[in-house]
Order: sequence, then structure tokens, then C-alpha cells
Amino acid sequence: MKIQSQVSMVFHLDKCIGCHTCTIACKNIWTDRKGAEYMYWNNVETKPGTGYPTRWEDQDKYRGGWRLDQKKNRLHLRLQGKWGTLGNIFYNPYLPTLDDYFEPWTYDYQNLFDAPEGDDQPTARAVSMITGKYMDTIEAGPNWDDDLGGSQVYANNDPNLDGASEEERRQMQEIERVVFFYLPRICNHCLNPGCVAACPAAAIYKRGEDGVVLVNQDRCRAWRMCISGCPYKKTYFNWSTGKAEKCILCYPRLESEQPPACFHSCVGRIRYVGLLLYDASRLEQAAKAPQESLVQAQRDVIMDPFDPEVIAAAKASGVPDLKIEAAQQSPVYKFVKRWGLALPLHAEFRTLPMLFYVPPLGPVLAKMNKGMYDTADADSEGLTPMMSALEKSRMPLRYMASLLSAGNEQIIRDVYRKQMAVRLFMRAKTAKDVPAAEVEKALTEGNTNAQEAEAIYRLTALPTYEERFVVPAMERETAVEDLFPALDPVARNYPVHKGEVGIGYRRDPRRGP
Amino acid sequence: MLGPDSKGGWRMTNTNPMTIYRTHGRKLSIAALATVAGLWAAPPGAANPAATDAETGQRIFQEKCAACHTVGGGDLVGPDLKGVTAQRPREWLQRWIAAPDEMLAAGDPVATALLHRFHEVPMPNSHLNAPDIAAVLAYLATSAPGAAMAPATGAVAGREESTPALGSGGAATAAVGTTTALAAGTSIAAVGDPEIGKELFTGAARFRNGGPPCMACHSVAGIGALGGGQLGPDLTTVVTRLGGVAALRAFVGGSPTPTMSAIWSRTPITTGERDDVVAFLAQAALFQRPAQAMWQLAGLSALGLVILLAIIGWVWRGRLRDGVRRPMIAKQRKARS
Ligand code: SF4
Ligand code: SF4
Repeated sequence: MKIQSQVSMVFHLDKCIGCHTCTIACKNIWTDRKGAEYMYWNNVETKPGTGYPTRWEDQDKYRGGWRLDQKKNRLHLRLQGKWGTLGNIFYNPYLPTLDDYFEPWTYDYQNLFDAPEGDDQPTARAVSMITGKYMDTIEAGPNWDDDLGGSQVYANNDPNLDGASEEERRQMQEIERVVFFYLPRICNHCLNPGCVAACPAAAIYKRGEDGVVLVNQDRCRAWRMCISGCPYKKTYFNWSTGKAEKCILCYPRLESEQPPACFHSCVGRIRYVGLLLYDASRLEQAAKAPQESLVQAQRDVIMDPFDPEVIAAAKASGVPDLKIEAAQQSPVYKFVKRWGLALPLHAEFRTLPMLFYVPPLGPVLAKMNKGMYDTADADSEGLTPMMSALEKSRMPLRYMASLLSAGNEQIIRDVYRKQMAVRLFMRAKTAKDVPAAEVEKALTEGNTNAQEAEAIYRLTALPTYEERFVVPAMERETAVEDLFPALDPVARNYPVHKGEVGIGYRRDPRRGP
Repeated sequence: MLGPDSKGGWRMTNTNPMTIYRTHGRKLSIAALATVAGLWAAPPGAANPAATDAETGQRIFQEKCAACHTVGGGDLVGPDLKGVTAQRPREWLQRWIAAPDEMLAAGDPVATALLHRFHEVPMPNSHLNAPDIAAVLAYLATSAPGAAMAPATGAVAGREESTPALGSGGAATAAVGTTTALAAGTSIAAVGDPEIGKELFTGAARFRNGGPPCMACHSVAGIGALGGGQLGPDLTTVVTRLGGVAALRAFVGGSPTPTMSAIWSRTPITTGERDDVVAFLAQAALFQRPAQAMWQLAGLSALGLVILLAIIGWVWRGRLRDGVRRPMIAKQRKARS
């Protein structure tokens, strides 16, 4: 057992209102620069939809993530092996084009002031931020399919619907069934990151002490293999500096005990951040699990921070006491492991993503009943008035399973049962219109109890800032000392080592003239 | 052939005094012996300023001019300079020797006519200064009609004889009988064995002093479709370009271009080897690259291209040609219409 700690995240999708505040917070801090205009380290997509970049989940095209060679029981990058890297080193054929992201633009505002007098109101035409030329038609943007659930072009081309029958597709486009939800995405800071494995220059690394995955800007040689290697398309290429860039989980904020900016600014308060303790020696085994048990395997590497054995092992491998305490407070641990509500996105990519999503309880089918809008067949299920059979959900379980449980519908069903039980329990408590027997039944079916339901409700609906964000002191000083020998001001033995301070090599402080 | 310099002409940096004798062995041998006799008969102590000048001039001539010119030995790459001082105004000669490239560029009529006469091989700028030029002219003047018997020619022959290691003139002269090919437009037969020459050219046989095979830098017809290296010029028609076997022999022996002299001054070519290579290059069959070889070359190139494209197409068959979004939208549009 080799226990390490990782800063991990939970997004509660039922709470996301699709406001893009997180995106803007991130954009303003990190990617408001030349060469980074098209990047959205944080983006919010509508599901079903094609996302950003278009159809990023389609690994037949983009070749991201890992593939399990069952015969040899080995993991291979879907992108290429060593020889493939060498052969494609000057031309990576699976890169998304700029068009798959979108061509960033601004407007010629000056024209509003400078236009000569005429019969028409002057306009501000769109100008490409890449070429500087006028753009007559804007064909795509970073959230072009926003709110377009049910659309023929975008929703219908969602890769998660690839297995859906014609009948299911038709149903999802019916006016009464049209449904969508939001999926905010950042880098998952995976435990088995495809981006790191794909980099021929060893420029990407995962910081040992908090698990943040970073690109060393001094080492990056612009091969752009990470962009293909990441199945979530969360590394980007800055065309101005010629270096890859990605979400840094606002590590400067983490180091000063603040949550990342997108978490801090989230309007729906859907985001939780906290530490997880995991067993590093079992990662390989977890990444190689058969597809249907991938989620369970990932849950299994996450260790109980209250278990004395785990605590001892964590101390032995150098996890500071403060972090063990923080892991015990972690809201992420509760959602992922204790309650089993939060699931990794596309576990089948086998990168062991450390951002988990609580699936949204999609609206269920409804019908007009005596002039009232009511859930279809609610009575037959006995779950009145708001609960209906899972099968009556407008969002097919199969779709959610494809997104969040590597296709295992049973896991999704369990999560939904528990969520419904919590709702019924709270409904009975506040509106008092649900019979006690029904609540009991729901709690049993949801494999939960009154106490847990209450706790889930509190952390979902009423969490304080301190409950959502449990960021311990990162103790950078000990982490740095672990990695480096003491600095010798005479010999200047600054070692070059992975896992250094922030992005780049450790350098002398440079003073002004 | 000629190594290009920055001005598009060629430059001479090294000459082998032997070349004059070697290439004109037959004609020269008798005359030389006579001159040597005359020289030795004359008292050497009769020094005057003009004579000293002429001696310096002779040295410079051997160093800088002799790969292409003779005095009384007949035309090589450039003309025989016997009596040239009487033929052309001194002022013209000074300008010409100082900067032939500039005069050609300026379109001097005499210079242009000479260029045409000597196979469009321009005279290089040897970067001589005014005193040097005066010395060379003083030396050349000794060969003008009415001047005292030129000591130069004799000296050449004398030096020749004193370096038997480089091959004996008599042997080369005797080898004339083995000539197998005639150079077009020249009466001088090529000596040497073209078969050995070919082996030396292609590297099948080694040069005795370790020089690299000609093929490393030059291409030529008759040794396969690809013909050889690209650093130096193609040598298929070099004999006609330089104006004959004698000129070619002078050239190969003297290695007057910077590139060639850099190689051959350290690993000198022997007389026999030189003759063999020249004999090979002088073969009438070489003067034209056969059409068949050209087609062979074109065919090989086309085949290579096709194979290369096929490999590229196969290796990158899964590439995202137009990205993902555009084809997706296009497909949807098509489905609707
Ligand atoms: S999600 Fe982040 S850590 Fe995971 S592969 Fe992509 S860029 Fe790397
Ligand atoms: S700020 Fe929060 S609620 Fe708004 S889109 Fe982002 S994740 Fe969703």
C-alpha cells in the first residue's frame, strides 16, 4: 500500500444552471492572451450535444486515452506507441483542427465611432483573432450547441447516442421528450493521464504532492501529442508561444488555501473540492479492470481516510498530517466513496479521471391528467406525485451510463435510486404528503437510511463555503525539500527534476537592476 | 570540369608544372630538349632587372596560369600565349589579367571573342596585383618574336625531368600507341585505358594515393541511370566543353578549382591514372547520355514517387482530413435535402 493524496473534484450536475460564469472566471485569469484565444480550460457543454471540440468523445477520430490489450493484459495509448510517435513526430494526424474548436473572433468596434456619415447605422463586423481578417459568417463557437438538446445536428450527433436505436433517437427529438442538461468540464487531473504518457519530450508531469497535471513550458517542444493523448481534449496548443497549455487547477490559489477560480465563482455552487487518499500501488490494476467494473475499480483505489491502517501508510509515504485531516473533511470523499453518488466521466478511457459527477435527475415523462400536468404512470409506480419509474426518465439510462459509468447501467440505476430516496425523504419531511411506508421503501431501494439521506441533502443543498472547499495548506516547503537537496549558494546545485515548483524549472530569484 | 566560384567563372589555385610537358609530350619533347640545350649553353650570370622580373613572372606563370596556358606549347583550355605581348596592347593585357571577369561582364569585344573561341570557358580572376602582372608580362615578352630565347619553356622541361617520381615523359609518350578513342574536334589522341579509367571513376578501382572516386562528386553518362554525384558538374561532354583531350588532361592533372585542389593536392593523382580517366571521359560514346538512360531515370523517379505517396497515404490513412465538425455538418445537410 502506497498512499498518496490528490486534490479531487465533484460537480453536482443537478445544480448546474449553465451560466458559464466558471468559464469566464477561468478565461479572464488564464487564457485571455495571444495564442490562447480559442482555449477554454473550463467549458460548459449541453448534453446531448457535440461539445467542444466537436465530438471530442469520438476516439475513433481523435485517438485519445488508453486501450486495453486483453490478451497481453497491457494498456496501450490509443494514439500510438513508441514507433508511431517517431513516425508521426513532425505530423500528428489526429489533431483537432481549429475549426473543431472554433475560430476566435472579436468585433471591429472602432467602426462604430469612425464610420463616415451615411444612411445606415454603422455596424461592428466580426474580425478573426487569428488572421485579423473580417469573418463574414461565423459558423462555430465554443458553446455553439448551447441549449440545443433535441437538435437534429448537434444533439443527434452526440457520440453517446452512437449505440441508440432509431426509435430512441426519434423519441428524444419528440417535443414532449426533448431534454438536456449541462456538463461543465475542466481537466480531470487523471491518475493515469493519457496526456503525460503521450508526450515525447516528457514535458507534462503530475505533481506528486497534490496530483495537479502541469505542462513544463521550458520543456515543451510543440510535438502536440498530449492534445491527442488526452481523451477529454483538455490540453491545448498555444499557436503564439508554440507550447501546450492546460488547466492548472489554479495551483497558485490552491497553494494559498483557496479553491480554483471556477469553483469559487460557480453560481450554482455545484463544485466541490477536497483531498482523496489513494493507493498508488493499485492504480495499474484499476486502469486495467474490465470495462463494466472500471468505476468500481476506481472507487476501490480511493482509501478510507479514517482507517488507522491507511493513516499509518499515508504517514509512512510522507503525506503530512494536515492533509490527512483535510482528506477526512473532504466533500469529495463523501460523494464518491461513502455515498457512491459521484461518478467519473467516461471511465472507459482508462485515464482514471479525478473529477467526479453526480448525475442529474433528468425530468421524467409527463402527461396531461385532468387538466393537470403529471408524470406519466406515476400512480402505477406508487411514487406520487414527483417520482416515476427510472424507465420513464426522459433521459435514457443507457445514455447516462455511456457518459458516467462506462456503460454499466446498474451503477446509474443505484445512484438514481439513492437520489430519489433522498428527495422523497425530504419531501415527506417538509411537504408531508408522502406516506411513511413509501419513504421507507424508497430508502431501502436506494440502499440508504434517514441519517445518510439527511447528510446528502445538507451537502447538496445547503453547504457552506468551508464545506464545499476543503483545501489544506499545501506545505509546498516540505514538498520542495523532499524533491531537492539543500540549495548550495556556492556550487549552485539546482537540480533539474520532475515535479518542480509550478510550471518550469526552478531558477534563482532575479532581482531588478 | 571547372569549379564554380562566386562570380560564375572558375578559379585556379594550383597547377602542376608537369602538365605542360605531359600533355604536349610529343610536340614538346624535341623542342624542349633543344631549348634546354640552348639554355645551358648560355651563361646564367647575365642578370639585368628585366631578367629578374621575367624569372618572377615565370614562377607566377607556373603557379597560376600553366594549368590552362602554354607558351609555345599550343592551345589548352586557354590559348597558347607565345608572342601575346606583341599581339595585344600592353594596357589591354594588364586590364585583362587583373580582372577578366569584369572585362567579360563589361562586354569587351576582344575578350568576348576569345570566350567564344575557347568553348565558353571564362578566364578566372587570379587576383594578381600590379607588380605580379608586370612580371608575368615581362616573362611572356621573352617569348615574343625577336626576343631572347625564352628560358621558361626550358625550365619547365627541366623541372619535369627532375621529378621522375611523377611519371616519366617518355613512357607517356610511348603510351600514345595504346590510344583507343579520339576526342571530337581534337587531333590529340587520348592515351590511357578507358576501361581502367571507368573503374577509377566509379570507385571499382582505387586511386593509388587514396583520392576519392570521381563519381563521389560528378555524374557522367555510361555508368548507369543515376550517373553519380551532384557536387561537381556533369562530365558527359567535358571533353568538348574544355576543347579537347589535351585541355582536359591539363585540367585533371592541375585540379585548378578550389574544391578539386583541396582534395587532389593531398592525394595527388598519378599520371597513368590521369590518362586513364581522361581516356574514359574522352570516349565518343559518352558524349551523349543515351536517351534510354534518361527514360530509365525518369521511370525510376516516377516509381519512387508513387511508392512514397502510397506509403504516406497508408501510414496516415486515418488522419482527420477536414477536421470533424465540417464533415458532420455537411452530412446532416445532405441527409435533410
Ligand atoms: S483530463 Fe487532464 S490529466 Fe487527464 S489526460 Fe486530459 S489533460 Fe491529462
Ligand atoms: S458557474 Fe457553476 S452553475 Fe454556472 S455553468 Fe459553471 S458550473 Fe454551471
